[in-house]
This record gives sequence, C-alpha cells and structure tokens, in this order.
Amino acid sequence: MDIGVPETEHEIEVVPLEEPVPAPAPVEAPADEPVPA
Amino acid sequence: MTQTSTDPILGWRLWHVRLHAGEHRLESFTMHHVSWPAGARFEARCAVHRDDAPVCDHECGIYAFKTRALAEELLRRYTGVRHRYGREYQELPPVRQGRPIALGSVSLWGRILARERGYRAQYAYPYELFVIGGDEQIARELRARYVVDVSLL
Repeated sequence: MDIGVPETEHEIEVVPLEEPVPAPAPVEAPADEPVPA
Repeated sequence: MTQTSTDPILGWRLWHVRLHAGEHRLESFTMHHVSWPAGARFEARCAVHRDDAPVCDHECGIYAFKTRALAEELLRRYTGVRHRYGREYQELPPVRQGRPIALGSVSLWGRILARERGYRAQYAYPYELFVIGGDEQIARELRARYVVDVSLL
C-alpha cells in the first residue's frame, strides 16, 4: 500500500480509554417451546 | 515529537475475504494467509522487530489509508480496471468471481506512524465493512464474526 514517502512520517501514540474491539454478540437463547395445557 | 491521543484513528483499507475451515474471514490484502482475528485486536508483527512494529526506517506495521478514495484507488489498481471508454472509472471495479474483497474503515491505535496518505499502526480492528463481489450470506457471516456493520456494494 502506498501511504506516502517515509520522510514525511511522524509518530502518534493513541491510548484509548477502551479498546475499540466490540464485545461478542449475545447468543440468543432458543424460545421456550409452548407446553400444551 | 510524539503526538498523544485517546481517540483511535480511523483509516481505510482493503481485505481479502477468504474461507478458513469453512468460515469466511478477513485476510490481509498484501500478506498471504494472514487472517484478522475476530473479537480481538490485530497486532503488528515484524520478522525483524517482533512486537515493536511499526518501527521508523522500516516498512512494518498494519497499513491503512487516510481516505476511502485512496483505498478505492488501490482496488482499481489491483483489478487493473482504471478507465472505461477512455474515462476514469468512477464506480468500483468488478472483482473476480468467488474472490470477494472487503473495503472498510478500521480503528487504529497504539503506536502509529503517519505519512501524508496513510498510517502504519501497532493495533487495529475493523470498524465498518463493505463487501464487493460477495453475497448476503458472506455479509451475515462477517457481521456475526467481527460484530461490525457489513454492507454489500
């Protein structure tokens, strides 16, 4: 990937308060089967 | 002098979408068979500098462009479709059948080396994906696996 010439490079330190990684989606519990009366 | 921030930087990049053990996953666009993990950050590694990547005066790190247009330009170069009827191709070019590509934004953090067109980062995770040459099934799989928004282009 051509992101430009190295001579223009400068450093940034990013320390997020929380890492931008989403938590896994909750697994949906199967609906209770209707119980015949 | 190093700038510091608590806000992740949003870049743009491409991934191959490939089957691994029956599951569609994001794979590095330039490094073969380097799969991006789901639910965990992708960490830069370098054969020379190991976990210290990215390092100045080297080319290691996780790459991303500053704009979507630059990522689209790479896609046009990759497919070889840059012009149509003598004009610059405005739409995204078609990709090879059965070889979907994801264009998307990516969160970058940790140590980042910025140039005029993009970044080399220490850590990354996809933020939003647009799948080219895929179908709804692939989009659904990626959405569930990486827990990000996924659309078809």
